[in-house]
Amino acid sequence: MRRGRGGRRGTRSGSRLFAIYSVVSLLPVGALGLVLLSGVRGDAAKQGQDQGKAQAAVIAEMAIAPALDDADLTQGITAGQRDSLAKATDLALYHGSVLRMRLRNFNGQVIFSDDGSTSGGVPVTDPAFQSASLGTSAATLVRDAEAPGGQIIQVLQPVFARASGEAIGVLELYLPYDKIAARLHQQMVVTYRRLGVGLGLLYLAVSLISWSTTRSLRRYAARQAHEALHDGLTGLPNREAFRQRAADAVGERRDGAVVVVDLNRFKEVNDTLGHHAGDQLLRVITGRLRSALRAEDTVARLGGDEFALILPGLDAAGVRTLLERVRAELTREMVLDGVPLSIEASFGVALYPAHGDDVERLLRHADAAMYQGKRGAADIVIYSGERVAQPTQWLVVQAELRHALERDELVLHYQPKVRLADGVVTGVEALVRWQHPERGLLPPAAFLPAAEQSGLIEPLTAWVLRRALADQRAWTAAGRDWAVSVNVSARNLETPSFASSVIDLWNSPKRLVLEITETAVVDDVAAAQHALRELAAAGIGLSVDDFGAGYTSLGRLRGVPLTEIKIDRSFVEESPENRAIVRGVVALAHGLGCRVTAEGVETAEVAAWVAAAGCDDAQGYFYSRPVPWAQVPTLEGVR
Amino acid sequence: MRKIIAAALLVLATAGCGSSEMSATASTASVDNSVQFDQALHDKLPLSVRNTKTLRFLTDASYAPMEQFAPDGRTIVGFEPDLADALGRVLGVRVQMVEGSFQTTLDRIADGTYDAAFMSMTDTPAREKRVDFIDYFTAGTSIVVQRGNPAGVSGLDSLCGQIVAVEQSTTQADLLRRSQKQCGGRPIQIIQTKTNADALLQLRTGRAAAVLNDYPPASHLATDNRTSNYFQLASTAQYEPGLFGIPVAKGNTQLRGVLQAALEKVIASGTYADLLARWGLSDGAVKTVTVNGAH
Repeated sequence: MRRGRGGRRGTRSGSRLFAIYSVVSLLPVGALGLVLLSGVRGDAAKQGQDQGKAQAAVIAEMAIAPALDDADLTQGITAGQRDSLAKATDLALYHGSVLRMRLRNFNGQVIFSDDGSTSGGVPVTDPAFQSASLGTSAATLVRDAEAPGGQIIQVLQPVFARASGEAIGVLELYLPYDKIAARLHQQMVVTYRRLGVGLGLLYLAVSLISWSTTRSLRRYAARQAHEALHDGLTGLPNREAFRQRAADAVGERRDGAVVVVDLNRFKEVNDTLGHHAGDQLLRVITGRLRSALRAEDTVARLGGDEFALILPGLDAAGVRTLLERVRAELTREMVLDGVPLSIEASFGVALYPAHGDDVERLLRHADAAMYQGKRGAADIVIYSGERVAQPTQWLVVQAELRHALERDELVLHYQPKVRLADGVVTGVEALVRWQHPERGLLPPAAFLPAAEQSGLIEPLTAWVLRRALADQRAWTAAGRDWAVSVNVSARNLETPSFASSVIDLWNSPKRLVLEITETAVVDDVAAAQHALRELAAAGIGLSVDDFGAGYTSLGRLRGVPLTEIKIDRSFVEESPENRAIVRGVVALAHGLGCRVTAEGVETAEVAAWVAAAGCDDAQGYFYSRPVPWAQVPTLEGVR
Repeated sequence: MRKIIAAALLVLATAGCGSSEMSATASTASVDNSVQFDQALHDKLPLSVRNTKTLRFLTDASYAPMEQFAPDGRTIVGFEPDLADALGRVLGVRVQMVEGSFQTTLDRIADGTYDAAFMSMTDTPAREKRVDFIDYFTAGTSIVVQRGNPAGVSGLDSLCGQIVAVEQSTTQADLLRRSQKQCGGRPIQIIQTKTNADALLQLRTGRAAAVLNDYPPASHLATDNRTSNYFQLASTAQYEPGLFGIPVAKGNTQLRGVLQAALEKVIASGTYADLLARWGLSDGAVKTVTVNGAH
């Protein structure tokens, strides 16, 4: 649809350009025509005068000079010469070949005239007379109301009387012009016609050239425009084109979705099979996306392995249904370079106008949802407001967090861990809170992901450790013998100096447990295991947090000196399945020599069944929310 | 520039006083600055010349390239006007070339109407009886015929029985008369014309079979592209070579001496050779200036 509109616009601007070319080329052609026409007219006038001159020269030589027979015009002429002159000119005058004639000496005196008068004629000072007396004849068109055509030729012609070429006077002749004019006019009409045809052809040629030029320009521009808006590899619209189309779609005031699709193992394909296979994969994916979508949907490639879709006219459920189909199509096995593989993709969905009417915002939201999906287990994630930490917001959070660490805006709350056997609080888990100056007390989820994305997690963990150990000293002084648990990020474990710095900080016989979140993906397994062993060797307890919710390979549990496994809160609700899982985990943990803690215990019933299932400790709102350590209940009376 | 204005004034003056002869100016083509004004020579000029500051030469402008009318029909150009101009420069006077009749030249010089003449006039003993000549050029006579030589003229003796046109009173006319003796019963029919151009007109129109000219104009006719279609030389022979001289009045030895000295200066300065070359006349150069050198 858009392409059609763009094409029409190209054609329109092309025809406008052609029209401009046509008009502009008409100007020089017209100017050329005017110049040529005036040249032709000038030539015709000159031709007429030249003809008059030629006629006068012949008359002077053939009729006048012979009759004069060596006369000296300053002295006048003899009667015999006068007779000869009259005889020589009578017929021409009578028949009108010559209209008027005067023979004059260089002083201007009229020696002989056609009608016998001795006056009249052009003044001696007239340029024509001057020119003739200096040997050059001069022809002029003069008006004569009585003559046919209204014009006659006046010629002033030097008279060369003798064979020696000596000039003796000036012949003033008036010759009829009407016949010459008629012939010249005829010639001019022919010339005008030829000129018109020639210029017309010239203009046609120029127009054809400009037409063909504008056409190639238009095509070139169209190609350029297509290249500017399309991805060379897949032929899909590129990011820019996507923005435009998305803006149009959003502007149509219908429900719809902007979806960001990211392939999950594309880098592996590129690295192992080569870029050629990667390119082929992208083409296959392109084809599959297209075939799975509806005609009105748009697929664009944003770059790398990232695609974007515009799905107009669908609500959240419709989008999900459609994307399920797309995912099914995408994940179908394919064979690349003889290697069978299936590709998975994460879909981040932002609905418009629900999640915004601005393309950038929608893309950001879809992106955030997609990343959330990548972190979690879901492939299709619909943006759900502020719960998803936005990458852009993270930057703000990171900056603020850096200040928060400096200004000591963070506080530690503690949640007690209760020994199920006797209800005694055996330890507390340190949970960091951010006393944000504007947003109030923030839970860890609001800023920990941001910290994990940056180097801030290290100073943050160090701060928490230092504070927790300081608090432990305080409650020990107050007579409470609690172990303290501190959550540690996978990134911490990858830092080579982490174990030694923790040991330095600890430096006390009191019990310290580091809780490692199971969902955190540990990239450098060897380094992490080395750190864990070092910590364990120093006497620091190690706990696996949220066990069962993530992807921890059972193999990882081997060789790591764990002291505790905390069962994820999703398993504590009583059901036959959960009971089986919990019992199994308890058996596993005990087999490994670990204690088992149930998380998220909120009621006495839950506390009872997890105790029955074999859990050693429990933690949850049933006992206490996270509170400053001084408020942690001793709980003797709770049970 | 001043010279042109002066010449124009002279034209009006002569026309105004009803002179029967048209006056014309010398060509200003020769602008060789190597010709120096000579005060001593100027002072030796006759008083009348010094008073008018003008030397008046009679000429017959129908003898290209020696002298002829320019296309305007009024200016006289050629080797002789240029040479006269060079002489005038040495002497510090204006030079006026006046068109006149060849036949009456000696009378006009003798009676003092003109100071001298540039007429391509051959210095002959007969003429020396009436005037003195300062000789400045040498040339013989050639026979001009129509191109293709339809009458089969090969030399003087083949002219017997033919019609030959010649300008009145020229040495060529004398030569024809003398040639009659050999013709016996088939005499040459001689048409004598007022100017050389009139004689050539007879030849051009087939009324005469040949025209006798001095070699320089004859050669010019046969080679100039305006005339070479109509004329050619009957042979390369030049008959009775002689000297061209400037006639001055018999008693006017003062002017004769001055003109001779001035001409020697023009020859010595190289201007003479330059002007001859310019008009294609180098063959006719004289080495020394003689007075009455006819033989």
